[in-house]
Amino acid sequence: MRFFRSLVPSLLVSSAAIVSAASSWSFEDAAVTVSSKGAGVGAGAKDKLSATSPLSKSVSLGATDTLKLQLTAVDGKKATRPHQAFLTLTDPATGVEESFLLNVKESGKGSLNLAHKDLPHQFLTSSKPLPASIVIGSFGSSTAYKAKVFDLNVARDPDAPLAVPEKPLRYAAEKEIHHIFRDDPRSPPKFITLIFTAAVAAALPGLFIVWATLGANANHLSKALGNAPISHAIFFGSILALEGIFFLYYTTWNLFQTLPAATVVGLVAFISGSRALSEVQERRLAGLR
Amino acid sequence: MRWLFSCMLLALLGAVQALSSSGQRLLVILEDEAEREKYSVLLEDLSSRGFHTTVQSPKADKLSLFKHGARAYDHVILLPAKSKGLGPALTANQFLDFMNNEGNVIVALSSDHATPSSVQSLLLELDIHVPSDKGALVVDHFNYDSTSAADKHDVLLLPFPKAIRPDVKNYFAGEGLIAVPRAVGQTLGNESPLILPVLRAPSTAYSYNPKDEADVVEDPFATGEQLNIVSSLQAHNSARLTVVGSAELLQNKWFAEKATINGQAVKTANRDFVQKVTAWTFKETGVLKIGKLLHYNNERVSKKLNTSVAIPEHNPKIYRIKEDVAFQIEVSEYEIDHLAPFLPVENDALQLEFSMLSPFHRLNLTPLSQTANATIFGVSFRTPDQHGIFNFRINFRRPFLTNLDEKRQVTVRHFAHDEWPRSWQISGAWVWIGGIWVTVVAWVGFVALWLYSAPTTNSVKKTQ
Repeated sequence: MRFFRSLVPSLLVSSAAIVSAASSWSFEDAAVTVSSKGAGVGAGAKDKLSATSPLSKSVSLGATDTLKLQLTAVDGKKATRPHQAFLTLTDPATGVEESFLLNVKESGKGSLNLAHKDLPHQFLTSSKPLPASIVIGSFGSSTAYKAKVFDLNVARDPDAPLAVPEKPLRYAAEKEIHHIFRDDPRSPPKFITLIFTAAVAAALPGLFIVWATLGANANHLSKALGNAPISHAIFFGSILALEGIFFLYYTTWNLFQTLPAATVVGLVAFISGSRALSEVQERRLAGLR
Repeated sequence: MRWLFSCMLLALLGAVQALSSSGQRLLVILEDEAEREKYSVLLEDLSSRGFHTTVQSPKADKLSLFKHGARAYDHVILLPAKSKGLGPALTANQFLDFMNNEGNVIVALSSDHATPSSVQSLLLELDIHVPSDKGALVVDHFNYDSTSAADKHDVLLLPFPKAIRPDVKNYFAGEGLIAVPRAVGQTLGNESPLILPVLRAPSTAYSYNPKDEADVVEDPFATGEQLNIVSSLQAHNSARLTVVGSAELLQNKWFAEKATINGQAVKTANRDFVQKVTAWTFKETGVLKIGKLLHYNNERVSKKLNTSVAIPEHNPKIYRIKEDVAFQIEVSEYEIDHLAPFLPVENDALQLEFSMLSPFHRLNLTPLSQTANATIFGVSFRTPDQHGIFNFRINFRRPFLTNLDEKRQVTVRHFAHDEWPRSWQISGAWVWIGGIWVTVVAWVGFVALWLYSAPTTNSVKKTQ
């Protein structure tokens, strides 16, 4: 209720003004000064501010600089102390807003000092100039004032480290991930493969030719078949059949189909082979080998 | 039979009446029975939406948020009380337990009354900060109602809030201006993704205490859009809490009041806004539900999601690496009294993660088709070349929407021995295969030679 007590006289004073025409808040004699550390008082660029149009050039604030804003708040024509006198900075990229309070005296004269340490990190890292607005308002019927007065260019020392807090978690769609597959195994060029395959295949006729030149022949075939026709036919047949079983195992059969077949054929080869090889021994003993 | 039928019909009607997706038992905590009249329109609106309202004083003997260890109510509205303490039934812990049990809470503050200490510690626990001194309120010398607050500028007229981000659906949009009389502003902690602003103060507003001696604002609690008039929290279990900075905003007086802003006569739209705030908090809006989930091997035939509930999900338990897989899911959104097809807003997407410890795939799902009350989303992809235990996971957390976290575990096996390409299909193996066949033929030839070769004359000579 103290507020009321303080308000009532001011209301009484200003009631006449309310009835005639609502006045509006504004400011006069405003100036912004940027002074760097070490420079004397009064040094640094001073720019006069106008309540109706923003400053044409932007104000630059270096890392060691201090910005000083001075103004006189007026209600209509009369210098008065407003309840609210803010300098509001906005980061156009992130929408972050921060208001700095002007220290206003009874006479309506207000001032504000601003340095890098007062600014949140969004302002320090902003690449665009920050629009600075002055807000002056108070209770009663006078229209409050808000307008952009200058652009603040925060020049940061690029070498100085800046403690930017880690971005807090916000729920949103995350980046898509597509699994990167390992490369498929690759074969050498077919041309090279075919050359080497041909070389390997050529080894077979090569072998037969060498055997033939050394006098290899099948002259005893009829003699062998004559002496032991069944065992020779079955023995040679079972060796071919064993190769056939290996071929089937390679293409379609599994181990459980292969093993019984191989056992049977192996047994046949063992029995017929002993007979066939006895015949070969007889030939050797007869001096024919 | 006829009476049975009518009974069933009545039961069905009852089911239709029950609107909120999470129950309709509502407790309104109001200290002064005489104040009930001020909130009568709000209470009538709520009961017409199917809530069974109980109005209790915080001093009532039998008042308890729990009965037999379970929630006695589904929703609570806490209106400001004169007394600083709310008694043993309404401590901060009780409210937190209530929310842990998925109860929803609206807390209304007022600058006329001190914020009860249990509410203060509750909000502090949730990282929502309110001014500690009694009487602090939000003023704005630009957007005030010049009919009712020509001098004090403490009745703000604010437009309906915009979406907080372009990829977030706005559940509080509307036409007109909301009257915010003598609000207690809140500031929100920046760390938690669970707390969200609903209605922010305009950029020229600030919070101050009229009892301060100074006739200039010094060290305000907060300024501009950092001040929230209405803020909310949705917990991990999707329980919702809304802090309404101005209890007067909920009162009949301001539901359709004539007001003036900058010389223009307007009518306040509080009733609409309050309807939206209560509907969101009490889970009539922004509630998601997953229907059927389907995944299948897409190598040969493609299937369509059978949305009938009668047919259970019949999904494979095992896949092979590098296999084409299709995934489909039904998602519905609860809208006031029914389930409707859910569609994310333009810049947002429902995402599927195929993960083992960390996601190997994270893919946006595209809406394929719609049923009467669900959207079918789908995506096709190839299982990664890594075997193990994988999850199809939908983890959809968005502001103002209930959390979806659904996963189906599958095994991804490596190639079986007979699934690899045969050796003759690999051109690099031809040399080795050729070598084997040369050996086989040479061996057969050697056997024949050994068995049937006659000695040659020159070799006989040599032995002689």
